[in-house]
Amino acid sequence: MTQNANSYLIKRWIIKALCYLFFIVLFVICIGPVYMLLINATRNTVQIHGGPSLLPGTSFFENWRSLSALGIDVWLGIRNSSIVAFSSTFLTVYFSLLTAYAVVVYNFRFKKALFVFVLAMTMIPANLYLIGFFQYMHTLGLLNTFIPLIVPAIAAPATVFFFKQYLEGSLSMDLIQAARIDGASEFGIFNRIGLPLAAPGAFTMGIFSFVTAWNSFMGPLFLLGGNQDLHTLPLIMMRMQGDTYQRDLGAIYFGMAITLIPIIIVYAIFSKYIVSGIALGAVKE
Amino acid sequence: MKKKNSISKDYYGYIFIAPFIIIFITFILFPIFNTLYLSFTDARIRPGSWRGDFVGFDNFTSLLGDHMFHMAVSNTWMLWLFNFIPQMILALVLAAMFASTTYKLKGANIFKAVYYLPNLLMPVTIAALFNTFLSLHGPLNQILVGMLGIMPEARNFGAFALDTRIVVIFLQTWMWFGQTAIVLVAGMTSISPALYESAMIDGANQVKMFFRITLPLLKPVMLFVMVTSLVGGLQMFDIPHLYAGQFGNPDNSVLTVNMFMNLRRSFPSALLGYSGAISVLLFLMSSVVALVLFRIFREPDDAKVKKVRRVNS
Repeated sequence: MTQNANSYLIKRWIIKALCYLFFIVLFVICIGPVYMLLINATRNTVQIHGGPSLLPGTSFFENWRSLSALGIDVWLGIRNSSIVAFSSTFLTVYFSLLTAYAVVVYNFRFKKALFVFVLAMTMIPANLYLIGFFQYMHTLGLLNTFIPLIVPAIAAPATVFFFKQYLEGSLSMDLIQAARIDGASEFGIFNRIGLPLAAPGAFTMGIFSFVTAWNSFMGPLFLLGGNQDLHTLPLIMMRMQGDTYQRDLGAIYFGMAITLIPIIIVYAIFSKYIVSGIALGAVKE
Repeated sequence: MKKKNSISKDYYGYIFIAPFIIIFITFILFPIFNTLYLSFTDARIRPGSWRGDFVGFDNFTSLLGDHMFHMAVSNTWMLWLFNFIPQMILALVLAAMFASTTYKLKGANIFKAVYYLPNLLMPVTIAALFNTFLSLHGPLNQILVGMLGIMPEARNFGAFALDTRIVVIFLQTWMWFGQTAIVLVAGMTSISPALYESAMIDGANQVKMFFRITLPLLKPVMLFVMVTSLVGGLQMFDIPHLYAGQFGNPDNSVLTVNMFMNLRRSFPSALLGYSGAISVLLFLMSSVVALVLFRIFREPDDAKVKKVRRVNS
């Protein structure tokens, strides 16, 4: 009897150990390349050619200077990417929330039909829209400006859908009625009651839209291709990649690290919100 | 009095949705119809030809006979299929481990967070990074040749079609398995524990329970994952474009439909109508396949579940 119990415990221990081993192997596969990238950003080209290392070097600032010397303006990219990502994230979150709030709080004609239509539109992949959008922006003279990358953020059907579910669960009509009796304007009620109530959801959605905008490549490639002064980080990285074989490897690793560091910092702090956000969106379907 | 007051406020609904509606119609809906329109014209990126003339189905008929288009379609399917299958299996195994109530493995939140990390990184950087890793004098060759001595001499991975495909497939799997696993865990934890308890009383083991309870009940979530992965995967662009260049070389081995569309749009071709037609065909292909998948995998008892849900709500 004790022997049976023992062998059961041993078997259980082995299975658990194998599971952890599996987890750790995948952990290394996911973190390893990123870790190596960050380490190499601090080593000089000679050291990098000498072989991989687990410990950082001392050439961080040297690489920084050499990258600027290569004529690749990472700071311009950070500036342009920040303008696009922050403004489109703000517009997406604010106007999606406003739209969802209207659908939840007010009764108006065609509300249902409108909502079903919008939901159906979330299924259409962005690819169908790009060529038509590109030609249309040319007609309006808006190619090679930030406008086509920022303004459409106001209409984000998937985010509206998320906020509608969110507000239906958290918004109390009594609170709104009470505010009305106190003489608050409808717009004031949205800003002072609706927005704060939805803040946690808005935060999660905000992170997702920011990451999407920050990493976005195809849109900027089509719409900003002709003006290098407006190139966002991904476009600058693409130009830098052409240099991979010829020039300063340390500087190139440094440039790559710059694109990842903001995302890694945000993720390190808020990974809890982000991971729970992924599942939220999917299981509701 | 109160009721009248609340009715009179309802017109604010129109004011609040107005920005969304205006931008939606002008910046999303109109461009979609514009793509459709352009696909029936010979519009080009050239002064005076941006609108083009109506040419009927010409673009579509020449596309169907275009050898490069056929190649792009089969590449795209191959790259998606070979990344989706291992990704799904890996995610299922991981999710079963994360959700296991028998073994209660610790640290699940940390592992989930790390497995999702590659999805957040800039695809341009990922492609550039692996290009550097796999270059002739890069770290992988240094390890395989110098440190481990497995290979006699360095291999120029970028020069082989098969190697390039494997790298693109690996990167797609690397970027997406974490997300798939997290979604599957959420699906698994929503299965009632009572089902497992009664199965355990009946003497079922872990493996049996996984195949008899978990998998069948997870079908709707898996279908959702498959369809979103398919619609997104057929749009594949960033990784192959940036890892293997705009032609997806060597031998166009990783040229996807969207990359082909971009090729035809950019110079020297500069064909707007033709690339519009490529977009339309890609959209039709992914929608038709998504609908077929829904048809095939939707079980008859799905209807029952829906009914129950409707009664509950």
